[in-house]
Amino acid sequence: MKRVVMRRAIWESRHLRSYGRCFSQSADACAAANDVNTIPKMPPFEYTPPPYTGPTAEEILKKRKEFLSPSMFYFYKKPVNIVHGKMQYLFDEHGRRYLDALGGIATVCCGHCHPDVVKAIVNQTNNLQHSTILYLNHSIADFAEALASKLPGDLKVVFFTNSGTEANELAMMMARLYTGCHDIISLRNAYHGNAAGTMGATAQSNWKFNVVQSGIHHAVNPDPYRGQFGSDGEKYAKDVQDLIQYGTCGHVAAFISEAIQGVGGIVELASGYLPAVYTSIRKVGGLCIADEVQSGFARTGSHFWGFEAHGVVPDIVTMAKGIGNGIPLGAVVTTPKIAEVLTRRSYFNTFGGNPVCTAAGLAVLRVIEREKLQDNAHFVGSYLKERLNALKDKHEIIGDVRGRGLMLGVELVTDRQLKTPVKVEILQVMEQMKEMGVLIGKGGFYGNVFRITPPLCFTREDADFLVDVMDYAIAKL
Amino acid sequence: MVKMMREILPRAFSAKPCRFTCYATASQSTLAQPCHENEPILPKMPPFDYTPPPYTGPSADEILAKRQQFLSPAVCHFFKNPLNLVDGKMQYLFDEKGRRYLDAFGGIATVSCGHCHPEVVDAIVNQTKRLQHSTILYLNPVIADFAEALASKFPGDLKVVFFTNSGTEANELALMMARLYTGCHDVVSVRNGYHGNASGTMGATAQSSYKFNVVQTGVHHAQNPDQYRGVFGSDGLKYAKDVDDIITYGTSGRVAAFIAEAIQGVGGILELAPGYLPAVYSTIRKAGGLCIADEVQSGFARTGSHFWGFEAHGVVPDIVTMAKGIGNGIPLGAVITTPDIAKVLTHRTYFNTYGGNPVCTAAGLAVLNIIEKEKLQQNAFTVGSYLKQRLTSLKDKYEIIGDVRGRGLMLGVELVMDRELKTPAKAEILHIMEQMKDMGILIGKGGFFGNVFRITPPLCFTKEDADFLVDAMDFALSKM
Repeated sequence: MKRVVMRRAIWESRHLRSYGRCFSQSADACAAANDVNTIPKMPPFEYTPPPYTGPTAEEILKKRKEFLSPSMFYFYKKPVNIVHGKMQYLFDEHGRRYLDALGGIATVCCGHCHPDVVKAIVNQTNNLQHSTILYLNHSIADFAEALASKLPGDLKVVFFTNSGTEANELAMMMARLYTGCHDIISLRNAYHGNAAGTMGATAQSNWKFNVVQSGIHHAVNPDPYRGQFGSDGEKYAKDVQDLIQYGTCGHVAAFISEAIQGVGGIVELASGYLPAVYTSIRKVGGLCIADEVQSGFARTGSHFWGFEAHGVVPDIVTMAKGIGNGIPLGAVVTTPKIAEVLTRRSYFNTFGGNPVCTAAGLAVLRVIEREKLQDNAHFVGSYLKERLNALKDKHEIIGDVRGRGLMLGVELVTDRQLKTPVKVEILQVMEQMKEMGVLIGKGGFYGNVFRITPPLCFTREDADFLVDVMDYAIAKL
Repeated sequence: MVKMMREILPRAFSAKPCRFTCYATASQSTLAQPCHENEPILPKMPPFDYTPPPYTGPSADEILAKRQQFLSPAVCHFFKNPLNLVDGKMQYLFDEKGRRYLDAFGGIATVSCGHCHPEVVDAIVNQTKRLQHSTILYLNPVIADFAEALASKFPGDLKVVFFTNSGTEANELALMMARLYTGCHDVVSVRNGYHGNASGTMGATAQSSYKFNVVQTGVHHAQNPDQYRGVFGSDGLKYAKDVDDIITYGTSGRVAAFIAEAIQGVGGILELAPGYLPAVYSTIRKAGGLCIADEVQSGFARTGSHFWGFEAHGVVPDIVTMAKGIGNGIPLGAVITTPDIAKVLTHRTYFNTYGGNPVCTAAGLAVLNIIEKEKLQQNAFTVGSYLKQRLTSLKDKYEIIGDVRGRGLMLGVELVMDRELKTPAKAEILHIMEQMKDMGILIGKGGFFGNVFRITPPLCFTKEDADFLVDAMDFALSKM
């Protein structure tokens, strides 16, 4: 205990002044900060949700068990009934406030019920919800134009879908049509969707059902933490060449990957990997697909899109989640030449590009720009990562801290050398953090990685609160 | 004048007298012109007490220019001069100039309660202000309430729901569940059917126009029990034998599933010949397979006689998929099945990020309440039957109408050049569509040859709307 307090005092003195925690919190909290047993306080927030009069958590759970798919799992021993949201906070049935560090799985980018996004949705819903793209409507055209302007090069033709799965299915099909090849390479530990084609590209056994999936080859994951080549991206890239040479006719349709694996546990591809692989793939006539479903829309802070940090320009980009702050929307952006393949037959998506969802999408782009959310993701994210690294110095159980901007991961292990994934500890910490008011996410193949992907309006105070709560919860293990 | 008389007179002798048109239009309270024998009268849209707010956004031309630059070239549109639709109210749509149109297509059988139905809008707006999205990792009352309400609309043990964002996603899931449940890969679907555009569903879809040259496996397409063009007419049992043969000769003898729409929507409003589904369901189940009913277009009271299309065929499926009308246009789909079959999803982890979100499920619940409260099923039946009768009379009048079919407010009018040969009238239908648009009616088009009018309006469609539609079609046809 004495060693812990001393270590904390040293840590505090090293970091306190530069991060100005004392300035942002009350004097009481500041004095108490040196005592590890003090429960951290959530940053203040001037908003009271309307009273909730609906069914209780127990009643809902009962109905879920009866009427909803048994595959629908939930977090926590006592699942939380979340009934209201505002910016980076969520409220349960008792009006209790929680800091949302998961963001509905990297989906709520502007903030829950962001007024501009709500306004766009409400206005459009009052005018016209749906008519299909068989008729014109300005909403889809304006949004497509704005979206295309965020992408480099010739990436400027957009197709709207209703989800990331649909977007990836379309991207994979376009690549296969464009090249005339069937083989696709994806990365082990990746996640791309749950339909017939995308389940093939997804590469974690827990997400793959025992149904026929064809034409996908899974390359060695350029995992800086667990991979055999550490952070040497080029060494991993050779596996893709081998896959092509030994596993295919020598030509492939595409390579698809996330810049930072989300479901896989916030694993950022080792640097140098993507440029090397993109070259290999293009040499054999394949297309490069960047799955930006989680890493897109300013989340990584340093760039708008995750692939930009790797210095590559893909041929097709897919997106969803953050694109609409939670509204069901996905998109595929590609070049005019590649897009032409869809004219060979009729390709149609009934709900895709509807006025309400595209209005929300346009509002999101404007909010990201006006409120400088990318900068915020960068600054707050960097600060948060530093604090988490400091936490790693303090707690043996933290094996790795990684990620970029507000897409961060904290991997818990029982042994730093062997990197043995914790099994129950992460659940315990999650529960404890929930009790203290922080809702965090979990992922990674072993389920031992905290996923921190909050709304991009997350503040430094929120970051402090999150880390302090995690600190407290881990200390209690 | 003489030329006009020469054109009109033969019609006057060969077709039913013009008084039919007059009779029909006389039922409209707003008819101002007197009825003259043999002279087609320009039909008038039923009155509607609503003026849309003025539109100040980009014009149709500006939008078209942006679409051509930034949207997939596959994105097609109706009409030579495509319509910029900016506002909707119940069964009407409004263009940029505030002109009102009767929506006889319903966003492809999607707008079930009516555009911007106040209760659906309220549900969406209220929920959007509270919570748009959190995922099902946390509890939320709306998804549970909607699942319960939805399950109550189904017979038997069909009571476990999984929410998706579209019909394609729902069908993909249904196909996968059947394959997991049976351990088989082979699926039988019906020629001319449409089930979606992702890897698995594109295989089940059975029209070359919608199938791209990519690998699709494990689906066998059975002969279509097409009452109009099929070789056995309306004898459902005869067509059913093809499914037997597919199983016996094309598979190991065991299959995963059979999937079909009760009335083919994209395929041109083709109601499966009576007797077909019960026979096929029996065959499939003997081979260990599951029966999937795709209710994406025919569900949610559209067929009038029943809530679900399959009910009219006297069968109970093992899995039902739905979308389109479920949320009056909000992106939402669902799969419902038995607890036993649903268990297969626990073999691994299956997750849909947006699926079951509070806003879409709130809209879904509002839709169910409205269908009940406003007796939309009854309306679909009454108005649909009336409309079908009037269309059938129109068929008696014009040779070009080869067939009138469908049920409730899911109706089809097939245009042919020759009633014997049933040669599709491909150019003519486009011409009529344009005419009807100019007269204020937006109608849909479908069928493999693109020669079938698809009439799938919001279910609040009235008899006056039906009259207006038929009179306009009559007028347009008479001008050909």
